Amino acid sequence: MIVSKSVVRSVVFYLFTTLLLVGCGPQAKTVTNIDKYPTKPITMIVPYAAGGSADMMARAMEKVAQKHLGQALVVTNIPGGASTIGTNELAGAKPDGYTIGYVSMGSFLQPLYGQTRYHYSTALEPLVQVMSTPSVAVVLAGQPWNNVDDLVQYAKQHPGEIKFGHSGLGSGNHVVGEMLAKEAGIDIAQVPFRGESEALTALLGGHVQMMFTNPPTIKEYIKSGKVKVLAVASDQRMTDPEFSSIPTFKESGLAVVYHAWHALGAPKGLAPEVRAELIKDLSSMILDPEFKKNMEDLGMTVEYLGPQEFEKKWVEDNARLTKIIKETGIAEKIAAQKK
Amino acid sequence: MDIVDMLLNGFYVSLSLSNLLACTVGVLLGTLVGVLPGIGPIGTIALLLPLSFNMNATASIIMFAGIYYGAMFGGSTTSILLNVPGEAASVITCMDGHAMAKKGRGGAALAVAAIGSFIAGTMGLIGLTFFAPMLADAALIFGPPEYFSIAVLGLIILTRLTGTSMLKSSLMAVVGIMLGTIGLDSLTGISRFSFGIDALQRGIEFSVIAMGLFGVSELLETMIQPTIKQRLQKVRFRELYPNQEEWRRSIAPIFRGGMIGFLAGLLPGPAGIISTFASYAVEKKRSKNPQEFGNGAIEGVAGPESANNAAASATMIPLLSLGLPFSAGSAILLSGFMIHGIVPGPTLINQHADLFWGLIASMYIGNVLLLIINLPLVGIFASLLKTPLNILMPIVLVVTITGAYSINNSFFDLALLIGFGILGFFMKRTGYDPAPLIIGLILGPTLETGLTQSLIIGNGNVWSFFTRPISGIILGIGLFIIIYNLSGWGGSWRKDSGY
Repeated sequence: MIVSKSVVRSVVFYLFTTLLLVGCGPQAKTVTNIDKYPTKPITMIVPYAAGGSADMMARAMEKVAQKHLGQALVVTNIPGGASTIGTNELAGAKPDGYTIGYVSMGSFLQPLYGQTRYHYSTALEPLVQVMSTPSVAVVLAGQPWNNVDDLVQYAKQHPGEIKFGHSGLGSGNHVVGEMLAKEAGIDIAQVPFRGESEALTALLGGHVQMMFTNPPTIKEYIKSGKVKVLAVASDQRMTDPEFSSIPTFKESGLAVVYHAWHALGAPKGLAPEVRAELIKDLSSMILDPEFKKNMEDLGMTVEYLGPQEFEKKWVEDNARLTKIIKETGIAEKIAAQKK
Repeated sequence: MDIVDMLLNGFYVSLSLSNLLACTVGVLLGTLVGVLPGIGPIGTIALLLPLSFNMNATASIIMFAGIYYGAMFGGSTTSILLNVPGEAASVITCMDGHAMAKKGRGGAALAVAAIGSFIAGTMGLIGLTFFAPMLADAALIFGPPEYFSIAVLGLIILTRLTGTSMLKSSLMAVVGIMLGTIGLDSLTGISRFSFGIDALQRGIEFSVIAMGLFGVSELLETMIQPTIKQRLQKVRFRELYPNQEEWRRSIAPIFRGGMIGFLAGLLPGPAGIISTFASYAVEKKRSKNPQEFGNGAIEGVAGPESANNAAASATMIPLLSLGLPFSAGSAILLSGFMIHGIVPGPTLINQHADLFWGLIASMYIGNVLLLIINLPLVGIFASLLKTPLNILMPIVLVVTITGAYSINNSFFDLALLIGFGILGFFMKRTGYDPAPLIIGLILGPTLETGLTQSLIIGNGNVWSFFTRPISGIILGIGLFIIIYNLSGWGGSWRKDSGY
């Protein structure tokens, strides 16, 4: 431990020395030419491993960045800790406009369980929303249930028998499952997996009966007839033709709505000129038809929200999530485990 | 035959100039990152993803796949010549590969590794060509209870892999399992043993630990050797390739390794490294002279080096036919697909037939290319050893550190790398073998999540592990091995008490 500490110290020492040497030059420039921002590549932190939907979104942006930002966008994956490690890194970064990051509604949940360094809704600054995806309830195509009512009826007759998989404890898709259980008054058990693909593997193998996930993850499996979607957790039906025939939970009289946004954020304290420039460039990038096309190829639909609307949503959703995790008892469950 | 026709069409696709070039670039890069210790295919592909934007989809996927399986070819080089594993999947090759190098048979070991890789990689491809959808569905039968049982069996068999003392090996395996509990617990969401350090919440990365315990510790070891000894034996040209006796002994392990690797690749987890350990265990068990293992048994190179290549081919099966990445390596390949707007899933084979068969055909071509590239390289690498170690080893250290950093972009991982390097140095000096620790670290989390998920699914019924047929059979084998070995272990326990 002593050894590794001294190593950490020397590593940190070299790091700072290098930063000092490298940092002096360009920094002086940025101060004098603030209207010329950005003068160097912008780092985008993605708090998930390469290959997930967050990473895909970032890569699609990376692809068109140069022509809108005038600089390259460099995607850095800092995975782990249910997105908290990378998001902490983002919140702690220098607010100079050269570090931005992927922020989603899912990251807002983690501080509510009380174990992160920052409260992301206040430590980060909202920029723009890139897309928004509702959760969907998926079962194997061979299951006897064709809609939520069938499922609820079955679960009432066989309490505890239906197990649902999700990508991690306290993740958005776990919360949706608990919302359904509470709203319908049924007893279904959650099974945590390490990521979407592990949960999907268990669903396809019939080891869990249901899974909550996002439309892009499941689209190919619906097309091939392996799985079917029982309901969508949004206010209105989806517009995507593959999903437009699927009813919402609300149509069955259940108030289960979880519409997760995927957005860009920056550490708090950006200079107003930098923030304005950043938002202008990012907006033109997201509205670029080429970007839209790339996202659609990946099964994702761009749903742009500008700074004002998105900031409003940012604040409202934080309040709403706080309420939901209290009502579903997830926060208590996790707090009880910590004692 | 339908499949043969489509495969021929695939060859037509992959033999176009640009695709052939992409395949060559991919396998060359793969060989390079395989040879460089610490730098792995995952980091390399992640780095190249943005560069592939302007490439054609088929060409860039062929290139990424080439990097992935090419790395398995190159991984053995530094393991054999320097005792520093080039990839986590080549850790076990150090044991006998380096012992062979010390005896002047390094060239033979390198050649056997290359040829074994080629044969087993092609075996895996044949399986992929003809049985992909069927095998992928079969793999889905394995659920959490089966993963748990496999982890139990793995710990029983693999812990006693290399060490001489049962007590020390078990102790190391337990330490490995304990290290595996660090991080965010998947069942309760509590962050365990992270002491408020952010990076520890992620859990400990086994490739960093493997690089530390095997690679950095070996660098420290060379530092304390007197300079006169710091030259390895020169390899004469005639000795570069295996003799008849070595050939005869390698053939069966190559095919067995290929089978083991193929099966391991169908299941979730780091298939490459697990298959090498399993193959080594099988070869040691089957050998008439098990005492030779650790002192330069060629079977201990041929088996594992073949296994990891077959595993690389087999991990493509769940990825291509179901869109499910079962390991970190195939997850990064998945993003290679998606970045070009192709979403692998059950519909890939029909919707993108050209791409699917083109990719498979390119893998056959890539394997031949790798053999052609790697055999002459044996001589070049062997002559690299003429470089004094006090020049070579610092370079190796720099490369290792770069590679370890690239996994999670984390400085903390570098502290772990150096810390475990120093620990590994002292472990070797005191007779503790690091291999069981790595096994514990890899299988521990599978054991734990498998147990908790199974208990939730089975409503808390412990007996469900025995009543599910596959899980029951696997646990039965484990039980049989324990009973069978009890008397032998009793003996070694008594022997241990003398330590």
